[in-house]
Parts: sequence; C-alpha cells; structure tokens
Amino acid sequence: MTTTEPLVIALPKGRILKEAMPLVRAAGIEPEAAFDDPKSRQLRFATNHPGVEIIRVRSFDVATFVAFGAAQLGIAGHDVLMEFDYSDIYAPLDLGIGFCRLAVAEPAELSRTDDPSRWSHVRVATKYPHITATHFAKRGVQAECIKLNGAMELAPTLGLCRRIVDLVSTGSTLKANGLVEVEHIADITSRLIVNRTALKTRPVEIQGWIEQFRRAVDAEAA
Amino acid sequence: MNEPVNKALLPAGLRDALPEEAEREATAVFSLMNAFRAEGYQTVKPPLMEFEQSLLSGPGGELAQQLFRLMDPISQQMMGLRADITPQIARIAASRLAGSARPLRLCYSGQVLRVRGDQLRPERQFTQAGIELFGSDAVKADVEIVLLTVAALRAAGLQDLSIDLTVPSLAPAVLTGQGHEGATADAAREALDGKDAGELRGIVGDDPLIFGLLEAVGPAETAMPRLQALDISGLAGQQIARLAETIAGIRAVEPDLSLTVDPGEYRGFEYQTGVAFSVFAPGVRGEIGRGGRYVSETGEPAVGATVYLDSVLRALPVTVSALRVYLPFGTAPDDARRCREQGNRVVAGLEPEADPEAEARRLGCTAIWHKIEVKDI
Repeated sequence: MTTTEPLVIALPKGRILKEAMPLVRAAGIEPEAAFDDPKSRQLRFATNHPGVEIIRVRSFDVATFVAFGAAQLGIAGHDVLMEFDYSDIYAPLDLGIGFCRLAVAEPAELSRTDDPSRWSHVRVATKYPHITATHFAKRGVQAECIKLNGAMELAPTLGLCRRIVDLVSTGSTLKANGLVEVEHIADITSRLIVNRTALKTRPVEIQGWIEQFRRAVDAEAA
Repeated sequence: MNEPVNKALLPAGLRDALPEEAEREATAVFSLMNAFRAEGYQTVKPPLMEFEQSLLSGPGGELAQQLFRLMDPISQQMMGLRADITPQIARIAASRLAGSARPLRLCYSGQVLRVRGDQLRPERQFTQAGIELFGSDAVKADVEIVLLTVAALRAAGLQDLSIDLTVPSLAPAVLTGQGHEGATADAAREALDGKDAGELRGIVGDDPLIFGLLEAVGPAETAMPRLQALDISGLAGQQIARLAETIAGIRAVEPDLSLTVDPGEYRGFEYQTGVAFSVFAPGVRGEIGRGGRYVSETGEPAVGATVYLDSVLRALPVTVSALRVYLPFGTAPDDARRCREQGNRVVAGLEPEADPEAEARRLGCTAIWHKIEVKDI
C-alpha cells in the first residue's frame, strides 16, 4: 500500500523536550532550523525526511493528537497516558527519560498527626482528576478533585484544600512550599506512543521508526 | 436558570443526518447488504428492544454497562435497547432457526444504542451491518467471513483496507502457562494490548515467551513466522496453527490485501474463542468493523463480522451529490415520464415560475428538462 500522507510526530513543549531531542536526533530525525529558534512562532516543522513532520504541543495534547490520529507518533509522559487512558494509543517504548513520580502530598504539619489509612473522604487539588479518582477509589476513599492547571503547591498553603496529587521529581518544590509526600501513586517515565490505526495500516513504516528509537534508547543506555 | 432548551439541541451523542449524509449511509448499507446476500446470507430483522436477559446472554454479556433499559408496562419485566445486534442473531439461530440446515448464513443491518460513546466514537446511536455463520467449525468459514467483509466494504466504496488478525485467547493462555494469574495476568494483558514493553517488563520480567508475543506484531508475512517460532503447545499452539491456516486461506484469494497480526489485541473480543479480526482504513480513527469466531450459548460454533457505518462513512471519499433535473411547471406527463425513464432524479415544479432556470438553480438542480431532453444549467 502506498501512502503519501506525511508522518506527524508530536513532541511535548517544556521540560521533557530537552531530554527527548537527543533521542529524536539519534533516531535520525533532524528538524528544520526554526525548531530551535526561541523566537519562531511556528508550530509545525519540516525535518530532514521529506515525509516526516514534527509538531510541538502541550504535553497533555500530545496524547490527544495521537489518539485521534492527527499525529501518528508522539512522546508523552506515562502520567498523561494514565490520565486519558485512550484505548487507541500504543506505548511500545519506554524512552528512559523524564523520570519522576506521581504522589499525594500534604502540609508537613498536617502529616505529623494524619493517618492516610483512616481517610474516607479527601479533597485534592490536581492536574490529574482521573488518576486521582481512580487511585483513591481503589483504596476505598472518596476523592473530590479540584482541577488546577499548575502551581498545585499553592493550594494547601492558601487553604484551597489540604492535599494535592502532582508530579514530583526531586521534591524540592514540595519542600519549598512546606509539603511532604504521603502516598506514592506511580513511577513515571516518558514513552514513545503510536496511534493504533497508523500501526495497523502502515505497519512497516511505523515499526521502522519504533526500531530507530529503540536503537537510540539502547545506545543512550549503553 | 429555567431557560427553555433550544429545540434543535439533541442529547449528547445523538444527531440528525441531513440529506447528503443520510443518503450516503443508506447507499452504503444497501451495497453491504447486497454483497452479503450475493454470498447466500439471508436477511433477518430482530426488534429494536427485547428482554434485557436475552440481550445480555451469550455474546451480549459484555454490554451490560452499555444498555439503555426500560420497564415493559405489559410484562412488568426489564427490557433493553440493543447495544449490539450480534446477540440477537445468535438468539434467532439458537431458537427459531434451530431446525434450519447448517451451516446457517444470516445477515442484518440496523440501529444500535449505547449508553456512552467513547472519546474516539462519541456516537451513542449508530448503524451496524453484519453477517453470522452458524454451525461450521471449518477454517474455510473463518476465511469466508473475512473475505466477504472485505468484499462488501469494497462494494460500498472503501478501497484501502487493512485487516488485523488476532487470537484473543492466546495471550491469556500463554500468561496462565507461565504462571501469571488474576490481577497480574490482567495487567500483563493490558500492557500487551498497549504494546507497552516498559510496563510489561515491570510485571512479568524478561520472560522470552511473553515478549515473543509482543514482538510478533506487524505484517502477517513477518509476524507469523515469529509467532510460530515460539515454543507454545497445547490449545494455544493449535490456535496459532489455525491462525496460520486462516491467513493462508485469505492470501490464496487476496494476495495483495494488507494483513497484520497482533496477538495482544483483546478489547471488544471478550467472547471470541478463535481467530478474530479488526478492519482498519488509513487515517480513519478506530476500527471500521470487527469479527471472529465464538461459541453460541447452545454450544454451536459460530463466526461473524459486523461493520460500523459511522466509521465506514468517515472512510468513504466524499461523493458529489446525484444530479437532479428540474421539471418546469406544466411539463406534459409524457415528457416527464420520458425524463424519469432516462434514470434522472426529478424535482417537479408545483407552481408556474417566471424563470424556470432560475427556479431550478434555487432548488439546487443542475439541469432542467427542456421539451425532450436534459439541458445543463
């Protein structure tokens, strides 16, 4: 089957991008110069492969673009994949970048007297309402989620709620805001993700790219 | 607060199909059903709702969460609106047509309703069309269902198709054989389905057999040898052999059809016992249709396939709407008949018009009947 449609790779803006680009380059994909120009307002970039394009979107949107087939490949954190739980996304490769964890945190002062095993209802500020609700439901705790898009750490200090569920990498942001981790939810890394229909209808091409990335990851680890 | 709802607003996931789209769907269903009937499949038409219990028995068991229910005021029993037609066809084959000669070939089309659409397919109501073959356990029957699904979709206008084959019971059998059970096996199965090697390694370690399943994904010609090279015996081994026979059978007729294999696939195949498949089209999200082998409630071997018309329409190229010819007011009945006999779709003028051509254009006609012939405008 001949497909002339371009292959679109969705990359997340921000923290992960810095760690991901060496892998993308090692897999043989070199974006056009505008990609590294901070002043460029371009969102869609050509690469050294005529049939391959890169788009740069917010990390949560990478999963959405790939799930709907607007992009065929992408790089997304496991946190984003867990939050959306799209059945049309495959995550064939752990890229070994973006290490962090999802955790429940609360003010240090509260945690001195608090016993998480006795919770029956919690109010939690989070960017991850689905993961949070599922995690607490599994524990038999009713969770009321307040969806925030950033600066979760402010919520307990200003009395919005007492607990948060957020990504923790070094723990320094938590500490600076007087919070401590009280429960671990999941370890997070970034994955190479693939649209299901694309893998089924363009198997050779897509698997070729997965293999390229696998080699890049193995070379990095070696 | 109490503002009246705009009458045009429909509940989420429900929609009006307007002239061109509705016609496209009707035409597609007609082509599909014709293709099914041409291979000896006979049409049946079960009701839109029936007792909940019968809808949920056998292959319908997985749909309990998706069923709209209402109480039958007459029998005081719970009824359900069908969320899938397959269980109804299985019921017909096992009851009213139990005495008919086997193999029994049936086809159907109709509307189904689901409580919830998902993110990729938000529709709560859509049209399903499909085929079921009862009473044969032959590989030839599996092959026939796949080939007929492909042929019918082609007849409906879909040229670029890709068939993904799987044996849903293979992964659980291998996992059980390697000593994984319960929640661990479920998690491993999900990781296999999501092709998530990182997750899978965390659950089962570096088990070469289980990772072998993960690597046997891709075009049939490369994936099958990998799958067959794995040291899998017993029932699971027989199913791999059966998958290979099915692929050979399809290849004999369709050497160029895009065929892929994915032993990890299981979502939506919960009641399938043998070879199962999904149909994809490039660039169309989700599957166009799916099918496979199962055992009906009475223990009879069955194999079938169903296609979802919402996905079919997403995959179909947009066609130009059919030519319509305007019959000016006062066209003589004989002339009008001649115009219709030429196979034209006509729009008759109901009142005298000052400028017939302008009137024709206003009504979206691209031609006008001029005395004895069609004249383009």
